[in-house]
Amino acid sequence: MISRGTIAAALLVPVVLCGQSAPKSAVPRAADGKPDLTGVWQGGSTRRGSWEEANSGTGVGGNGKDTKAPATLPSNSRPPGREPAPYQPWAAKKVLESYNNRAVDDPTAFCLPPGIPRTTIIGLFPMQIIQTPQQVVMLYEYMNVFRVIPISAKHPDDMEPTYMGNSVGHWEGNTLVVDVTGFNDKTWLVGTGTFHTEALHVTERYTRVDKDQINYDVTMEDPSVLTKPWQFHSTLMLREGTRLREYPCAENNLDPGRYEKLLKDGVNFQRKP
Amino acid sequence: MLKRFCGATWLAAALLLPALPVLAHHSFGAEYDVNKPITLSGVVTKVEWTNPHSHFYMDVKDDKGAVVNWKFEGYPPSVLYRTGWKRDTFKAGDTITVFGWRSRDGTAWAHSREVTFKDGKKLFFGPPAGTGDGGDTPPVEVK
Repeated sequence: MISRGTIAAALLVPVVLCGQSAPKSAVPRAADGKPDLTGVWQGGSTRRGSWEEANSGTGVGGNGKDTKAPATLPSNSRPPGREPAPYQPWAAKKVLESYNNRAVDDPTAFCLPPGIPRTTIIGLFPMQIIQTPQQVVMLYEYMNVFRVIPISAKHPDDMEPTYMGNSVGHWEGNTLVVDVTGFNDKTWLVGTGTFHTEALHVTERYTRVDKDQINYDVTMEDPSVLTKPWQFHSTLMLREGTRLREYPCAENNLDPGRYEKLLKDGVNFQRKP
Repeated sequence: MLKRFCGATWLAAALLLPALPVLAHHSFGAEYDVNKPITLSGVVTKVEWTNPHSHFYMDVKDDKGAVVNWKFEGYPPSVLYRTGWKRDTFKAGDTITVFGWRSRDGTAWAHSREVTFKDGKKLFFGPPAGTGDGGDTPPVEVK
């Protein structure tokens, strides 16, 4: 039998809820109780909503329907206030050389895998996470690359240097921590020319803070070129209704040939040092 | 001399837009000249929905009536789809107006930013100037 008190309490609930500002929706949980990261996500953005809603501005990948809307965050133009990448002086000069050459040595111009964390923070293309208790799979539209991340496993003994490295994950409370090593030295980290060596060790922390947002906190360590661990913080935003599409980059890639011709012809496209 | 439309207006608009480069596939600044915005009207002759960049070609008449076939470059098909383009959005024979920036080599080739259709509808075909070429601030400080 339902008491008067229960009815009164039930009537009060919506009143109380309506009196509050719209609460952020709860973190979805997997059957094993872990936060469920499953979904299609956009890196380099802080806006909630569908892909169309969140990309209504005039910036990169935007549709221009809302000229006042902020654009997808830039991922290689260092925002004001963000500390410079902690490269050793000799290495910083090399990074600056790529910047002044307007990124014509960008490995992705050759359609090569972008590496970590670069693949995660690009905002023009969505990525998808599929989570099971045993492994987390990350699929990226950009360059159509993927990662299969076993949970509570060790890196294999027979690793060879690769573009995307070797990833293993574990849970620390509500955060998925992914340890990535086994990289080659052919990718950039965050920003034009941000090279590294095979000694690179990346630690990624994925924390779903509500239904719409994963905080992505990454630490890059490479004592061969950096003066200290380099920390970078970004977000992944849920894009319900978006599906990953094909990106066969090598289909008609004209850029390397163009760069070669620009350099051969001595065209002045460089920034002045 | 090729016909140019609203050049000053577009230049002003382009200068007002924030520089928002991202790490994209290729460098805008190496291949295109931000100081050479261009607006052209003409008839589409071919569309290439290809990766990593889509292209379309357009016949443009110069002041003497001679036709020049221009090539325009933009987003890959997946990004175009999410920006509002479908395969039947435009086709050979359609008359359109394009705003973009010319290539550094000075040929009839440009980066296409915005396409305006006969009914006035506008869609972005490519990202803003500066995309992929490093942005305003280098990642490092060299003393």
